[in-house]
Amino acid sequence: MNTRGVLFLGFRYLQRNRAKTLLLAAAFTLVWLLPAGIGLIVAKVEAQLRARADQTPLLLGQAGSPLELVFNGLYFTKPQVASLPLRAVDAVAETGFATVIPIYARYSAGGYRIVGTTLDYFDFRQLELDEGRNLLRLGECVVGAAVAEKNGLKAGDAVISTPETLFDLAGVYPLKMTVVGVLAPAASPDDEAIFVDLKTAWIIEGLGHGHDEADELGEEQKIASVAPEDGSVRLNASVLEYNEITPENAERFHFHGDTADYPVTAAIVIPPHVRNQALIKGRYTRAGGLQLVSPGEEMDELFATVFSVQRFVVALLVAIGFATIGIGALVFLLSYRLREEEFRHLRHLGADLVTLRALVAFEAGFVILASLLVSAICLALIHVIAPVIIREMLG
Amino acid sequence: MMIKCENLRFTYPAESFQLAIDAFSVEKGESVALIGPSGCGKTTLMNLVSGILTPQSGRVTVNGLVVSELTVAARQRFRLGTIGLVPQNFELLDYLTIRENILVPFRVSSQLRLTREIEARCADLAERAGIAAHLDKFPRQLSQGERQRAALCRGLVTSPPLVLADEPTGNLDPENQDKIVSLLLGEAARIGASVLMITHDPLLLPRFGRVVEVMKLRRKGGDA
Repeated sequence: MNTRGVLFLGFRYLQRNRAKTLLLAAAFTLVWLLPAGIGLIVAKVEAQLRARADQTPLLLGQAGSPLELVFNGLYFTKPQVASLPLRAVDAVAETGFATVIPIYARYSAGGYRIVGTTLDYFDFRQLELDEGRNLLRLGECVVGAAVAEKNGLKAGDAVISTPETLFDLAGVYPLKMTVVGVLAPAASPDDEAIFVDLKTAWIIEGLGHGHDEADELGEEQKIASVAPEDGSVRLNASVLEYNEITPENAERFHFHGDTADYPVTAAIVIPPHVRNQALIKGRYTRAGGLQLVSPGEEMDELFATVFSVQRFVVALLVAIGFATIGIGALVFLLSYRLREEEFRHLRHLGADLVTLRALVAFEAGFVILASLLVSAICLALIHVIAPVIIREMLG
Repeated sequence: MMIKCENLRFTYPAESFQLAIDAFSVEKGESVALIGPSGCGKTTLMNLVSGILTPQSGRVTVNGLVVSELTVAARQRFRLGTIGLVPQNFELLDYLTIRENILVPFRVSSQLRLTREIEARCADLAERAGIAAHLDKFPRQLSQGERQRAALCRGLVTSPPLVLADEPTGNLDPENQDKIVSLLLGEAARIGASVLMITHDPLLLPRFGRVVEVMKLRRKGGDA
C-alpha cells in the first residue's frame, strides 16, 4: 500500500467535501464529549465541594435551606441567606462544646465576596500569607491569591466594597479598605475571597460608621437634641461620613446598639471530638429558629440527587449518541455507494485491495479520530477551566 | 509480441454471452483498432488483456507475462506497470485537480514513485495535449474534450508499453476526436508503445496500423 498516496487522496477527498466532514466530525464530537464532559464536570464539582465540606464539621445558621447555608458558609455564595445574630454564635461557644468561627459573607468588592470573620478562620483553614500581615485593625483586608493575581493587588493597595443600592440613600455605602496581606493559593473558594474583620463587614453594612464628632459641629448640622439630658443629638445629612478607615479617623468609628444583635450569615462549629459533636448536634439541630448542619451530609444528599439526574441525562445522551452513530454509519455507507465508481476506476488503474480498503476506511477513520481528538482537547480545556465553571455554577 | 491470446473462453456469470477467441495478437509498437457492434465483446476482450477479467480457459500473454495465470494482486501490479488505460468516460476523480488526476497512478501504487521527472513529464504531456493551462483546475471546470485529453495523459504518464483505449473519442466532436487520436498515436509512437483502441468511428480507422473486427475474430477464430 502507498500510505502517502492514500493519505493524499483521503485528505483531498475530505477537503473537497469539508462541509460534510465538519458536520460529521462535530456530530461525533458531541457524541463523545457530552457524556464525558458532564461526567468530568460533575466529578470536579463533587471533588471540590466534598473536600471543603469534609473539612468542615458543622455549620450553624438561621433555620432555612441547609444547602444555602452550606454554600454561604463554605463557598461564600448565596449572600441572601437568612442571617442569625452574633448572640446565637456566642451561645454555642459558651457551651464549651466547640470552637465557633462566625462568617459574614454578604457583600462584595469587584465581584469577589467580602468575608467578615475572625483570625481563627485562617488557622482553621490553614491559610498562609504570601505577603504582608494578617488583619489587625478596622478597615483592613486580606485578599485571596486569585483576587490578588487577577487584580494585581499587593499589600498597601486598596479595594472598595461594591455599593448594594445605588439610589437608596439608606443603603450600603462603599468602604475603601487597605490590603494588608495576600494569601498563598489554597485551591479553594478562599482564593476568590476578600477577608475582613467581622466589624469591618458590619461597617460596610452601615451598622457601624465614622463621622465628625457632634461636639465639633455647628448648629446648622444638628436637627434637634434627642435626649438633652445625655447629650445625644440628631444630625442632618450635611455631616461628613467617612468612607475609609484610617489611623486618624479609626477612633471615630463606632457601633450603635449591641453588637451581639448584629448579623452573621453562618458560623463554623468545630467540636474537638465526636462526643461533643453529637451533644451539640442534639442541642441545636433545627431548634430555636436555628439549624446546625453537617456539610458532608448535605453534600451526600445533594450529590445523590445530582447523580440520579446525571444518570438519566447520560442515558439519554447515550441513546442520542447511538442514534447519531447510526446516522453517521448510514452517511458513510451512502458515501461509499457514491464512491463505488471511483473505487472501480482506481481498481482498473491498478490500485491494490489494501489501498482501496484504506481509502474506504479513511473518511470514517478521520471523522472518528478527529472527533475523539477534539473531544479530548475540549475535556482537557474543561479540566483546566473547571474551577471557573464551578464558581459560576455556585455563584 | 505485445499481446497474445490463445483459445480464450469467457462468460459472465448468469449471462448467455460467451466470448470465444482462438487466437489474437498485437505486435510491439503496433496500433490496432478494435471494431464491432455493441455487445460483440470488444470491451470484454480489452478487459481480458488488461487482467481486469480472467478467462475461464485459455491464455492471455502481455509483454511476455501470462496475465491469465496471475493472482489478483499480481494483475493489479501488472496493470500499473504495463498498461495505460484510457476509458470512454474519462474516469477522472472530481475532488482532484487535473494535475493530480494525471498523476493518480503514482498515488495508488507502491511500485511507482512520484519524482520530479514524472511531474515534469506530466506537465509536458499536458502541454502537448493542450491542457497545460488547466492543470490546477478541477474536472468539472473543463470541457468534454479537455477532460478526455486529461484521461489520455493519465494513461500515458507511466510510459506504459501497452495503451488500451476504450472508445476514448465516443463522446467527442470530430475536431476533438482527431486531437485525441493524434495525441494517443503520436505519444505511443514516441515511447514505442503498442495501442489497442476500441472505436465506432470509421473515419479514424485509417490512422491505425491494423483494424480488427471482433465479430470476425470470434467467428473465424483467428486474426482479421
